[in-house]
Amino acid sequence: MTRVDTTSSPFEARLHMLEAQHRDSTRLIAELQARDALKTQFLANISHDLRTPLTAIITHAEILRDGLLGELSDRQRESINGIISGGRQLLGMVGEILTYARGQANQLTLNPSDFAFEDVVRQVSELNEGLIAKKELHFTVDLQPGLPELHADRDKITHILANLLGNAIAFTPPGGDVWLHARAEANDSVPELLVEVGDSGIGISPENHALIFQEFAQVDSSPSRQHHGTGLGLTIARRLIELHGGRIWLESELGQGSRFYFTIPTRADG
Amino acid sequence: MPCRILLVEDSALVVHALTLLLELAGHQVGAAGSVAEAVARARVEPPDILLLDLTLPDGDGLQVLEALRAMDAAPPVTVALTGHEDRATIARCELAGCRAVLLKPVPTRELLARVAEWEGEVRAAR
Repeated sequence: MTRVDTTSSPFEARLHMLEAQHRDSTRLIAELQARDALKTQFLANISHDLRTPLTAIITHAEILRDGLLGELSDRQRESINGIISGGRQLLGMVGEILTYARGQANQLTLNPSDFAFEDVVRQVSELNEGLIAKKELHFTVDLQPGLPELHADRDKITHILANLLGNAIAFTPPGGDVWLHARAEANDSVPELLVEVGDSGIGISPENHALIFQEFAQVDSSPSRQHHGTGLGLTIARRLIELHGGRIWLESELGQGSRFYFTIPTRADG
Repeated sequence: MPCRILLVEDSALVVHALTLLLELAGHQVGAAGSVAEAVARARVEPPDILLLDLTLPDGDGLQVLEALRAMDAAPPVTVALTGHEDRATIARCELAGCRAVLLKPVPTRELLARVAEWEGEVRAAR
């Protein structure tokens, strides 16, 4: 039987080297985690601070829009409405970064209440009516009759649905189809809602399916890309769904449209 | 007699915008940029409506309400204006006695409608 002489110097030297490497790696990981936490805190701080001047800009523009400082011509009102829309869009992006930063720091919590999913669908559909009409999309909603009431965070469910429907509208060429279906399912005897948001748009190739849920990722990240945003929408949607105990996935092929599915337990207490 | 509003907010930009809005709607608006200034001002000119930002340089905006209550000088209506709408913030404001928690920027039409509603209550109670 051959015995390994662990006191031999080459073996010891190798062992010491590995131990040193392990210590270095551990220190590096800790350092990177600390830097990541700092970056998250920076994002949270800056997005909070950006809200302050935006609040002033939007409030002043709304004062002008409402004629509180004198009547406006139609062209003037159109211009002011442009400032308000731009400001609110920027505010939405800032809010998205803040939600992401809180999610990273595990600071997101659920504020559950009882509500009908149909009401959220109506609210989100109404918000997108203008865009749907502008692109002449065929938008259909099919909800199973008698869907159970949800006990969940209504604002977060609205956010998820608005994000998925917003993407479907953005990535579908004019004249295409967008749909929203929902039905109740029993998963391991826990009733849950299964929601599908689909479109006949540009689609996503299977190798990019995992990528789109990663933060800051857009399948087309070139400066000339047609669709702009923080690249955080689906990351946040997934986090908010998982916070409720649900799941999100998609079926899509390039050029074949996309179908996003998500589940939400009918009673999510977080 | 116009409704007296005390706006507690540390951003001069936001104070300017909201003061303009509320004054155009006929209200009398005072402003304070810190907890200490707000308490001092409310003692001299008790407001009908206190609009409170939560993040102030010398502390939490809700401390203004606590201090005034301790002096038996709490205003009839206190409303939190905040950048946070998370459950913990809302619960904290409600527990402190805020009538509402409004997320900044509050749409101007909504803010004026809510203020008019509270003004009606204050007048009825006078």
